Amino acid sequence: MILLLSTLLSYADIKNLQTENVRIAGACAQCKEAIEAAAFQKNISEASWNKDTKIAAISYDSKKTSLDAVLKKIALAGYDNQNYLAPDDTYARLDESNRYERAVKRPVTAQEKMNAHQHGHDAANSPNEQVVPSADDPLKPVLNAYYAVKDALIASDGAAAASKADNLVKTLKAVKMDQLGSEQHTVWMKVVKDLDFDAEHIAETKDVGHQRDHFTSLSDNMYKLIKSAKPTEPVYYQHCPMAKEGKGANWLSQESAIKNPYYGAQMLNCGKTTETIK
Amino acid sequence: MPFRYEGTILNHLHTMDLLRVLIFKATLSLAILMLSSGLIYGQKVVRYDLYVKDTTVNFTGKPKRAIAVNGQIPMPTLTFTEGDTAEIYVHNELDEETSLHWHGLFLPNKYDGVPNLTQMPIEPHSTHLYRFPIIQHGTHWYHSHTELQEQIGMYGSMILNKKREPEIPTVPIILSEWTDMNPKNVHRMLHNASDWFAIQKGATQSYSEAAGQGYLKTKLGNEWKRMTAMDVSDVYYDRFLINGKNESQLSQFKPGDKVRLRISNGGASTYFWLTYAGGKMTVVATDGNDVEPVEVDRLIIAVSETYDVIVTIPATPAGAEPVSYEFLATSEDRTKSASLYLGAGVKQLASPLPRLKYFEGMKMMNGMMKMNGNLDDMGMNMSLNQMDMNVVMYPEITGPLKTQKQGTESKNEKDNMKMGNQDDAEKDKHAKHNMYNSNALSSITTLNYAMLASPENTSLPKNSTVKELRFVLTGNMNRYVWSMDNKVVSERDKILIKKGENVRMIIYNNSMMRHPMHLHGHDFRVLNGNGANAPMKNIIDIMPMETDTLEFAATESGDWFFHCHILYHMMSGMGAIFSYENSPANPEIPNPRLAQRKLFADDREFHFMAENDFATNGNDGEAMVQNTRWSIGSEWRLGWNDHHGYEVETHLGRYIGRMQWLMPFIGFDWRYRKMGMDEVEKNLFGQRNTKDKRSVLSVGVNYVLPMLVTAQAEIFTDGNVRFQLERMDIPLSRRLRMNLMVNTDREYMAAVKYIFTRYIGATAHYDSDMGFGLGLTLNY
Repeated sequence: MILLLSTLLSYADIKNLQTENVRIAGACAQCKEAIEAAAFQKNISEASWNKDTKIAAISYDSKKTSLDAVLKKIALAGYDNQNYLAPDDTYARLDESNRYERAVKRPVTAQEKMNAHQHGHDAANSPNEQVVPSADDPLKPVLNAYYAVKDALIASDGAAAASKADNLVKTLKAVKMDQLGSEQHTVWMKVVKDLDFDAEHIAETKDVGHQRDHFTSLSDNMYKLIKSAKPTEPVYYQHCPMAKEGKGANWLSQESAIKNPYYGAQMLNCGKTTETIK
Repeated sequence: MPFRYEGTILNHLHTMDLLRVLIFKATLSLAILMLSSGLIYGQKVVRYDLYVKDTTVNFTGKPKRAIAVNGQIPMPTLTFTEGDTAEIYVHNELDEETSLHWHGLFLPNKYDGVPNLTQMPIEPHSTHLYRFPIIQHGTHWYHSHTELQEQIGMYGSMILNKKREPEIPTVPIILSEWTDMNPKNVHRMLHNASDWFAIQKGATQSYSEAAGQGYLKTKLGNEWKRMTAMDVSDVYYDRFLINGKNESQLSQFKPGDKVRLRISNGGASTYFWLTYAGGKMTVVATDGNDVEPVEVDRLIIAVSETYDVIVTIPATPAGAEPVSYEFLATSEDRTKSASLYLGAGVKQLASPLPRLKYFEGMKMMNGMMKMNGNLDDMGMNMSLNQMDMNVVMYPEITGPLKTQKQGTESKNEKDNMKMGNQDDAEKDKHAKHNMYNSNALSSITTLNYAMLASPENTSLPKNSTVKELRFVLTGNMNRYVWSMDNKVVSERDKILIKKGENVRMIIYNNSMMRHPMHLHGHDFRVLNGNGANAPMKNIIDIMPMETDTLEFAATESGDWFFHCHILYHMMSGMGAIFSYENSPANPEIPNPRLAQRKLFADDREFHFMAENDFATNGNDGEAMVQNTRWSIGSEWRLGWNDHHGYEVETHLGRYIGRMQWLMPFIGFDWRYRKMGMDEVEKNLFGQRNTKDKRSVLSVGVNYVLPMLVTAQAEIFTDGNVRFQLERMDIPLSRRLRMNLMVNTDREYMAAVKYIFTRYIGATAHYDSDMGFGLGLTLNY
């Protein structure tokens, strides 16, 4: 029985052999190993990748698999090729030295998505690193910059919160007041100083606790500002009764699901949406 | 394993059939309706002809039998507009009965399509007409409600358009799965606690795997609580399919397009995770009812549920090549997936879901399982999928397997230390709430039922009386018995409801599997904290330990099935029949008593299993037929010669209780063995026992002890008494099993079996009667 099995499993080279040369993105010597390992399936497919030319010779049994199937496996290991682009988080997990330049320029949206350490949602998708004026809603960049700070606090990432807050300060300065409606303008004049004050303080420290203190008043003022005009996308005003030693605190979010910026990962969903501004 | 993505290949289709495959929509003239005067709207009759026929498909490289309708799998998408009248002719060209159920539709009871309940089965080579007005809109689907036909191709999308649909490109999508195994055999194997599917999935959870990953204590605790390996689904599938294909592409879509996917899960027993490579998905409807749009990173779609989801194909910068984005449906057990690429060009893959951490799941189950088989939610009041105990198994939420995660662990510790400053009670409350909340534990937003809200007020009539019904979902994985309140369909009276009242159902899941509960012919409100805007659904997935409250207005008449939509659970009897009091007789059921008997036959069915070890020292084996409550089984030891002897023990028993640990039985014991002169054996109690020739009756009882040891006490008509302890199928490694037995007749046995294939193994055993033996084991 066992003898029989072992004869069945014994070595036989790839049958119905087909070999094709394909360009596969990659940057270093380790890539070679990873690409070839991904393509390898005993007696069915294998690849030999040249680091200098970036060309892989892929050999496969054309009755059992296809070039497309092998390329999909290579992409799932993190390496873009003519048929498939690697999942973004797989690419992001490659070692720094392995990370090749991705050929296809794609919008930020997909690249940021599902990145385990990036707690950004819509905010991360929009170009919040630069101050981009928006024609339809002059406060949109401010809101996005605020969301970025909030998302950094959700992740309890003090350094990120500081840099996002710095960006918020710049965004606040770039707002063209003449584009604001009259009611909005009034509110803006009332809160802009405080917004600036809190944002600067968050930017100055990496202590998450201190940042969260300022985030409370920052959020209250943001609420007043956003409520004064109809935002282009719905804004969720959310409340956690436990924050600030039971005094409670609020924040604005771009999504209805609760992600509490006042606590670390352990108690993230405490709270509820108290108002939807739209 | 070679991968081939060839989709559906229908070999046995002849040109003749294709000619007969006529789908046409006919608009009837208004003439008939003009009889009465005044304003009369022209009613549009939409006719479909469905030819149900045997076919051969090849999804895996092996030709297998399937059922195709109009030559295709899935069945054709049926499209209607609210206000139409549907006229569907079903031509049964099979050599067996069939039926079609219109899932989620409001229609007259006699067209609901449940054989032996709302109509008699459609006999082979006959035609049946379903004719009903379309009085709703939304994404629905249809499938055979006869036996296991849904598993082998009889599912299709049913799209009911609003009179004015939003202008957005729309794609009907039906998810399904394929197994090369005959579904009847799948069903039989499930009832015989075969672990072949676990071996195929790599989910055996054996002692050696447990020890290797540092979970030995967990495994012991699990068996102490009389549980076998845990899993999130029961069956191993060879392929998963989106619209009948494992991989396909819709290249007509351009960057920047928004596309609405109208998704139905037509799988027989698979929940799917849905993810998209191009960003978030916006859920806009479920089970045919609009909901307030909600953005998520992913959702799980329960068996037979439907969701409308809007995805965006990300815009590309000017001059760049177009990119297509993967819409990925991954089975809940994460063994395989199916892909649909939206757009043209190079394919951007979505991240595959990492494999489950089974031992973490086992640890979680140990914590929840009480010794008496009930579940304990530790005061968490779980409902609406908000807490998902399974997150402990999801590496993307709770981190990768321990062995690789030193880095993340130290980070968690730091977090914990930080929290030490805060009030402990507060911390406890938070931590407990969030331990299983996937949205709190990660940045990935997962849909749950609490996030759904209807855009309309869905309140029920205020003045109606309320009938409150409570159900406990019960089950037993070891024997694959699934029930409600420990009653299968055939053991329960119809539940009487009155037209005009409001029915409230409070359902608690006390079993170890999740169940998608489906109500025919009605939508229910899911009370989810959204007040008057509670979403309307006709399927609700209830996870272990969850309690959900549903309510609906009783506005129909006739008999409506309420059941778990996992096909193999339904066929095992997990359901109940709601019956409107004083309904007129259903003309489709000429003989209600016959119909009822045929309906109940499903869960009364007996399942056969047999095993024999052809060993050097004799044959050792058993055969059994069992159903929900009864078991008739024989064990034998047949030596190759008279000195080794021959022995057959037969037991007829009935399983008692929800967990079925107790089984009293009557038995018959026959032995023949040629021993030396006057040789007799004495048992531990000093009773004498001639083994030479013995033919006695017995009564006895089996009881399953912790560690899954079966204790047996038996008294024979010759006055002898025997106690026995036996443990079968201890999973030593993925494919290695051990059996142990000892009794007061001073008999003992130890065996080790290696499983080669579904039906073949090799056994080495030592037996006090027959000595040491090596053998080939065949099992069915």
